[in-house]
Amino acid sequence: MSQKHEGWGWMLAVDFFFAGMGGAMLVIAGIVDLFVGEGRTSALASFLGAAFMALGSGLLIFELGRPFQSWRVFMNPRAILTVGAWVMSLAICAGLVYTTFSFAVFPWSDWVLVRKLVAVVIVVSGLIVATYPGVLLGRLKGRPLWVGPGMTSLFLTSSLVTAFAAHILCGMIVAPATIGDVLARFPAITAVLLAVQLLLWVSYMWVKISGATEAEAVAARRLLCGEYSSAFKYGLMLVGTVLPLLLVLVSSPLYQAAGAILVLVGGFILRMLVIYAGGADRTWLPGEVKYRSRLPHGDEAFMKAWNEKEFWTTNK
Amino acid sequence: MARYAMVFDIRRCIGCHSCTVACRTKNELPMDMIYNPVTTVGPTGVYPNLSMVHLPLICMHCDNPPCVDACPTGASQRRDDGIVFVEDKKCVGCLACVMACPYGARVKNHESGAVQKCDFCKDRVDEGKLPYCVLTCHQKARVFGDLDDETSEVYKLVNGERTVRLLAELGTEPYAFYIYG
Amino acid sequence: MSKSIDLQQEGIEVKKSCCYFCHQNCGVLAYVKDGKVLAIEGDPSYPTNEGGLCCRGNIALKHLDHPARVNYPLKRVGKRGEGKWEQIPWDQAMDEIAAKLAAIRDEFGAEAVATAGGTSRTDDWARRRFMNMFGSPNCFHNSHLCWIPTFMVETAIYGWCPFDLDLGASRCLVLWGQNPGASSMPEMHHIRELQTKGLKVIVIDPRFTETAAKADLWLPLRPGSDLALALAWVNVIIHEGLYDAEFVTEYCEGFGELADHVEQFTPEWAAPLTWLTPEQIRESAYMYATSKPGNIQWGVAIDQLGKSAGAAMHARALLRALTGNLDCPGSDLLTGPSQDSITDEEMEANDMLPEAQKAKQIGADRFKLITWPGYGRIAELAKKHWGKAPTAEWMCEAHPPSVFNAIITGEPYQIKALLVSATNPVNSYGQSKMTLEALRKVDFMVTCEYWMTPTAALSDYVLPIAGALERPTITNSYGCADFLLCSQRAIQPMYERRNDYNFWRDLGMRMGQEEMWPWETVEDAYHYRIEPLGYGAESYDEFVDLYRFHFPEREYFKYKRIGFGTPSGKVELYSSTLKDLGYPPLPEYAGPVENELDDPELAKEYPLVLTTGNGFMPFHHSEHFQIKELRFLRHEPRVEINPATAAELGIADEDWVWIETRRGRIKQKAALTQGVAPRVIVTERGWWFPERSMAEPELGGCLESNTNVLTSVDDEHCDPFSGTWANRGLLCKVYKVNGADAKEGK
Repeated sequence: MSQKHEGWGWMLAVDFFFAGMGGAMLVIAGIVDLFVGEGRTSALASFLGAAFMALGSGLLIFELGRPFQSWRVFMNPRAILTVGAWVMSLAICAGLVYTTFSFAVFPWSDWVLVRKLVAVVIVVSGLIVATYPGVLLGRLKGRPLWVGPGMTSLFLTSSLVTAFAAHILCGMIVAPATIGDVLARFPAITAVLLAVQLLLWVSYMWVKISGATEAEAVAARRLLCGEYSSAFKYGLMLVGTVLPLLLVLVSSPLYQAAGAILVLVGGFILRMLVIYAGGADRTWLPGEVKYRSRLPHGDEAFMKAWNEKEFWTTNK
Repeated sequence: MARYAMVFDIRRCIGCHSCTVACRTKNELPMDMIYNPVTTVGPTGVYPNLSMVHLPLICMHCDNPPCVDACPTGASQRRDDGIVFVEDKKCVGCLACVMACPYGARVKNHESGAVQKCDFCKDRVDEGKLPYCVLTCHQKARVFGDLDDETSEVYKLVNGERTVRLLAELGTEPYAFYIYG
Repeated sequence: MSKSIDLQQEGIEVKKSCCYFCHQNCGVLAYVKDGKVLAIEGDPSYPTNEGGLCCRGNIALKHLDHPARVNYPLKRVGKRGEGKWEQIPWDQAMDEIAAKLAAIRDEFGAEAVATAGGTSRTDDWARRRFMNMFGSPNCFHNSHLCWIPTFMVETAIYGWCPFDLDLGASRCLVLWGQNPGASSMPEMHHIRELQTKGLKVIVIDPRFTETAAKADLWLPLRPGSDLALALAWVNVIIHEGLYDAEFVTEYCEGFGELADHVEQFTPEWAAPLTWLTPEQIRESAYMYATSKPGNIQWGVAIDQLGKSAGAAMHARALLRALTGNLDCPGSDLLTGPSQDSITDEEMEANDMLPEAQKAKQIGADRFKLITWPGYGRIAELAKKHWGKAPTAEWMCEAHPPSVFNAIITGEPYQIKALLVSATNPVNSYGQSKMTLEALRKVDFMVTCEYWMTPTAALSDYVLPIAGALERPTITNSYGCADFLLCSQRAIQPMYERRNDYNFWRDLGMRMGQEEMWPWETVEDAYHYRIEPLGYGAESYDEFVDLYRFHFPEREYFKYKRIGFGTPSGKVELYSSTLKDLGYPPLPEYAGPVENELDDPELAKEYPLVLTTGNGFMPFHHSEHFQIKELRFLRHEPRVEINPATAAELGIADEDWVWIETRRGRIKQKAALTQGVAPRVIVTERGWWFPERSMAEPELGGCLESNTNVLTSVDDEHCDPFSGTWANRGLLCKVYKVNGADAKEGK
């Protein structure tokens, strides 16, 4: 138990990672289907897109204080989380339906018009799923690391780049339905997106440190030089962005696969960093940091003693 | 309809923490839950030219409460009289409201899994009594009342004294007002 | 979860109780059903707290049925301090204790039995009544540290101790070593209220306290230098013509001698001693002397100075007289004892103690003011003037450190038994290592307590005492005010707890005092005390229900009618009473007990100035450390250090540090603050750790962070008037705790 302000934990970060990636995987699958001639991506990718989202939502349920009441999150249409829950459910269903079109056992597998319609649905819903965590965080006014529109583009970019990486990996395992030169272009697109991600983070930090409130500057500085700085610099930037950027450009499936895996690692680190570094920080009110730092953390001798029920009766 | 508000007279608060303890015992809160901390700013300056103020914090019962908007279950609600509260049975403990509140007014109860917060002692208020922290404050540093009632003390203070609201720039329209003097 | 209790439900009774965690006794309404307290609230109609309750007041229900409470009589079965107890019936405990006391009296004399008390949380008149009839003069409290010496010096000079009861009409209030912002919430409220109407407040305190932060003038003097400041004020007021010439001429004696005596004590003289500037001293003296009427509120810091305490009280007392701030509207009022009810002193049966036994009181040979020689003299004067005397329990006490010393050394005679009530001497009395040695050594010890304190843990018997909500209370400032506020018990004591009154009565009944204890219950005794008020209530409870308070009609300028209660009938600036007792009739200067001027060698080794003993929220003396609702606010002891000093010592905020004086060292956590001067160290008092083992040798860590390890009770450090020991103005050094010691709980 900690008297420090508590926030979301790793399960939410993992949810954001899988849901973002899964949503964007469907977006990519849908777009390729709709706009790239006869191009179809790997059936595994669209299945995993849906499955990842389902996995993420599952974790999210365990993050709840009362998991068995989780159905209640569909109840307030004004809340972003409610919108997200509805859209994610839709995307999961649509993603699974879309996957069936790859298998001839399903009688509807050659109904092209229906497939295209479902593709539209997965593009739209997947895009929302890939984007909304950024909107959710960016709207939290008292959270200086998150507040503002920047988080949206960071999350969307990361979702897309992890999704491309996942597609590359899926394509290697289960060949796409129609091989065009579509899949071959994914490494290059991944590289471009990684470059964009790098640029976005640099500018995001720059804006936070120089342009906005003092609290935002403090929060950004904690990421750059504080307790999270090595995870940020070496984990997210070096291992998760720059290194895979170089690897995917090498025209060898082995290197590309390694690069794709690093992209996934980077995407995961990003979610963890953003959730933990941003959640620990609030725009503190005057005197609040000192007040909270002086409260017991829960591991003090008196707390431990008093948590044991029998303590007082035996200590007499 | 009433519009409840609380005014904190910082000139009177001495940082005795009575309100914090009173609230905790009245509401049977576990150790890691505090609805109404009182922070100390200072002594600022260099000895012996000093000043010191204490800042009682609480749920601000915002007119535009970000916690209510963030709540996916509808457990967080704002009554017509302005009191923001959590309907316990609807809360799933997703912490969206905890993260949305800029004032740190909400905490998860690890025993029940739900989020809790100050509700201006709405049960007492509905009986015509004062919130308990207001009654217990020896220094009368807390004034509670109906801002729609022009004869109320809060109305007079909010309209007569120089009051500020915490993090007013966020647009949450808090209904806790501070008199710095 | 919010537990909403329906207070409108059928069968609920509202009892007019009070808080019992400090002697403000704020009014409390207790909602009682079927003998259980369901809820408490501050009583909005109580004149002092007006519904307010502080941290401590709000935990009344947590205190009432805390799992750590002692609820049954316990008898030691193992070795002393081993922590092995047997639960026995009250009757057996009382029989055995009475037999043991009788045996000691027969073999060693009644004086071999001593009693120790704490702050006013008990019916102390009952204890004194028992002891007087038992025949021992050796009752004591730590009243030495708490206003009692001041009371007696002031009574010696002008016949009673004045109270600031008329603050509403005052223009200036001096809070001298007094921080109501952390110790008496209702007073603080009224002061702040009056400040908005123009009352000027001067705070004299080395710390930038909650109260100093709201003051009009803050005088941050060197700890322990109060006497120098008081003398300089007297000098300014006399030699710059600020005194009330008419009052001084007509109603005071010895002005000429005083004027000559203080000529040397100029602000320029006092400045280097007090670390103030001459201008600060002048400005403050002018503010008090010219903003009339003015008040100097009771505060205990001066009582805790040690060597210079008596003279400092004396000098401070003179200020009121010189400015005429006595008994006129808005000034400090000389109420005298209650004329309308039976006072505490009248309940004590002091006549029952033979003169020969009075003469045996420990410490009476050296410290005469609050032992039988001084008390006897002053009580006689008071009886002549007012018809009644100050309470003996508090004002006439054996010298506590000397009693502990007598246990250890057998000098002047052996103390064989100690009855402890409402105190934990290891933590509350001076020089803890010595006190602890005495408690370990004493032959027979009985402790009446709420908790298993370090002291209780060393006892032969521990008896469960009823606390707040379980007992009625009369609040009347140690039995010395002319008014009274009454509260009733909300419920009968839970488990097998009893009122301390019944402990003394039951003991008395077993020792042949039957005819002296006609009142079976506390309420019976209280009813006897309030009957003369003439309200006609059938019982004490009925009085509380219907009236609750008694405030007599105020008479100003009583001295014009009856004079002052001194031998000359005037204010004795040159005190004949003090002179008769062998003390200087005018306040003579002495430095703080340990200081760099008198002992430069000591200051080289211990370069920092230590002050201890200030009250702080949410604890009270050494109480409440086991109540988690309070402990979470301050779970570790903190010592205040100026950041500049800390930087020199290589100490960072939150570091554990040792604070060491010649008497020993303790460990607290550094709290860096600009609120104290460089070179000044302020430790928190009271600390022990009920979460640890209460058996030997740990004893709840009672020496580890306990500031009284540092204080001094050496005879040369004690005030020659009263014997009060030194909590302030000591020299110390501070250094970082290293290695394994730095861990919490080590």
